[in-house]
Amino acid sequence: MPSTRILVTGGTGFLGSEIVSALVTAKVFSITALDLNPPSLNTPSYPSVSYVRCDILNPSALSSLFKAARPEIIVHTAAVNLLGAKRYGTEKRGKEEGAVMRVNVDGTRNVLEAARACGAKGVVYTSSVTVLVDELEGDFRNADEGWGIGRAGTVYGESKTIAEQLVLASNEGGYKTCALRAAPIFGPRDPITIPTIHSCIAHGETPFILGTGTNLQDYVYVANVADAHVLAIHNLLGPGTAAGEAFFITNGEPVTVRDLCLAVWKEFDHFPRFELRIPERMAWWVGWGVEWVSWATGRKATFCRGIVWDATKARYVSIEKARRVLGYEPRVRLPEALAISCQYFKRQFSEQAKR
Amino acid sequence: MVGVKDLAYYAVHPTQLRSIVQWKVWHNPVHERDESKESASLKRCFEFLALTSRSFVAVILELHPDILVSVAVFYLVLRGLDTIEDDMTIPIVKKEPILRDFHNIIEQDGWTFTENGPDEKDRQLCVEFNVVIEEYKKLKPAHQAIIKDITKRMGNGMADYVKNAEFGINNNGVNTVQDYEKYCHYVAGLVGEGCTRLFVEEGKANPALLKRTDLYESMGQFLQQVNIIRDIKEDLDDKRRFWPKEIWSKHVDNFEDLFKPENKEKALAASSEMILTALKRADDCLFYLAGLKEQSVFNFCAIPQSMAIATLEVCFMNYDIFTRNVKITKGDACQLMLESTQNLQLVCEVFKRYTRKIHKKNNPHDPNFLQISIACGKIEQFIESIFPSQKPPVNEKNPVSAEEAARLKQEADESKWETIYMIAAVVGTVFFVSSLMLLCAWLAGARFDIAFVQVKQQFAQLLGTSGSSNTSNSSAALDTKSSPDHGEL
Repeated sequence: MPSTRILVTGGTGFLGSEIVSALVTAKVFSITALDLNPPSLNTPSYPSVSYVRCDILNPSALSSLFKAARPEIIVHTAAVNLLGAKRYGTEKRGKEEGAVMRVNVDGTRNVLEAARACGAKGVVYTSSVTVLVDELEGDFRNADEGWGIGRAGTVYGESKTIAEQLVLASNEGGYKTCALRAAPIFGPRDPITIPTIHSCIAHGETPFILGTGTNLQDYVYVANVADAHVLAIHNLLGPGTAAGEAFFITNGEPVTVRDLCLAVWKEFDHFPRFELRIPERMAWWVGWGVEWVSWATGRKATFCRGIVWDATKARYVSIEKARRVLGYEPRVRLPEALAISCQYFKRQFSEQAKR
Repeated sequence: MVGVKDLAYYAVHPTQLRSIVQWKVWHNPVHERDESKESASLKRCFEFLALTSRSFVAVILELHPDILVSVAVFYLVLRGLDTIEDDMTIPIVKKEPILRDFHNIIEQDGWTFTENGPDEKDRQLCVEFNVVIEEYKKLKPAHQAIIKDITKRMGNGMADYVKNAEFGINNNGVNTVQDYEKYCHYVAGLVGEGCTRLFVEEGKANPALLKRTDLYESMGQFLQQVNIIRDIKEDLDDKRRFWPKEIWSKHVDNFEDLFKPENKEKALAASSEMILTALKRADDCLFYLAGLKEQSVFNFCAIPQSMAIATLEVCFMNYDIFTRNVKITKGDACQLMLESTQNLQLVCEVFKRYTRKIHKKNNPHDPNFLQISIACGKIEQFIESIFPSQKPPVNEKNPVSAEEAARLKQEADESKWETIYMIAAVVGTVFFVSSLMLLCAWLAGARFDIAFVQVKQQFAQLLGTSGSSNTSNSSAALDTKSSPDHGEL
């Protein structure tokens, strides 16, 4: 069977494994999944996919592996992120911040070099909307790819910006690259979005509304992002109109942060008993105070101004370019996607409870 | 007359009263009809228009003269058709052929219909239908063709619906959402098509609107669906049901159960799904309005749409719709008319305002909570796409924008030098003119030396401190006296 060879970095991760599944379903690819970790127990793995272990920070191992697999297209999803209040820490660059920069930027550089050296035709890079919207104190309403980036205030956003620029700058002639800027991704096995929202129930935080509660934000279901990657592969191999371009990939259904949370809590049969609105300004000062206290005492805080901004700012983009150029259309709509994802977590939580 | 209750209401809602006063005082019709040139039959048509339509008469009467009569006749033809369809006292065997043939009937001189039941409120229109036919025949052939085509399709659609209802195929009223939208298509979507064709024919709308069939369909659907939602109680009392079984059967077994007080939550859940179905059309309606070119046509289309979204908001999460006829207040209506007779941006503001109100009332217990939230977000995103509220920031790292930045810097430099030249020119002119004046004065014999001393002294006087000022004062007095000849200058 003549099939196109694809290599997916981060291929056993949350998004990577979903992309591998989508590629397997497409039946026209032979797939190598590269990751630091083998497929975890509750991720599907496929006999037809060759799973290889490699650290993208090891250039020589990476390049020999690429030469052996000879992929035509590389899908580069491997990246690390910081969670909670650490996401916003920009003043003190500690060990973890350094690791984010190394994996996301140096790792990408290594992947690009190895890809070029092995004669690949192109790279599809998983970027993030944070390259634009992590300018935390800004509002972003219906932004498109023409909006200038480079002002991200988080380590993650900054690292993704640099890496995206490396990827797009390397696009030339027969070596085509594109970047898919995904909105916050959720789905079964999602390590961040749904667990974070769910944890508010146990913390008793669900009655509080930060800001006006009218600011819209984008999210995207993991299978839709995987679809976008497959479309990008086809585009780079075919017309190549996506070469050198960045695309926003979201569910195309911006909702208010509050409503997304309420919808998730509803799946877990939780309804806030009352609602308390905290004005943005007030929350900002509280965050400011907590930051100083945590600075003075040296203890890590769970609240900061970054969280206030993330909760109160408008952050939604237009996916018209992805629709037009890639033919992208979010297949799984938000209500269905949330139901599927929360069902998974419900099973997880009840299994954990049994143990 | 204004009742005590109304007075009390406006006393606590002064902004509503303000809107009413503003509308009555400041609104000038875009076009006014010239009654002196109208024939007797046309005058009668306008009388019927006023009798049969509460909501449309005002907007129709202000339409551009090119389409005023055509739209009025179009309305009356469809109203006649509707009056026959609605009348339950006419047997189906009699009704069906009339409905199916109505597009030919409107060309038969002198045709009238007297068999409506005595309670049918618009029966007089059918009794004197000959006046409508008379005016129809005076219309431009192109307009006649449009009206005839729409009448034919609507008449056939209505006949199918009536037949189904009669033979018990859909004794629950409307079964599926698809049927419901099909019904709305016949009674409203087609009106949207007809009006759009008339506007484009007269150059009052962008011809591209004809190709976007989904947009004019949505214009009609949105209005009709909102009416159906609002009128649920009234329709029940008249033994008609338009809410599709597909929606209400998710919550109750019998349509009548929606009205039982113990099913309040279920009834609200059904109503929210109805409202969601309508709300999904709102962005299309705004898009359609963007294609209109003439102010009176814009007003004609925009006012009903604004009223509809406001009505939708009043009906949302409001159990009163199951017990009585819910309406927007007169003050709100006037405010909406003020805002819908200017431009698209203001109408978008209206839609955004009411969308946010709907969003605020959205309740997580409702089965359609997230869907409604998404529909609201979609409307807001659409408005943002046609009227962006933000300017995209300049990308410093992008070479294209680096050039842009360099260009901007150069422009700034140029404008800075322009300012400098301008100031230099002004200062130079003033200096030149002053010098010229001083020269003339000097030639005429002005004593600047004396004037200079005087100025110096007066200045010292002004600042004058006690000790030294005395002597200078006296010498100044001496000086002025000693040179009276030159004092004038």
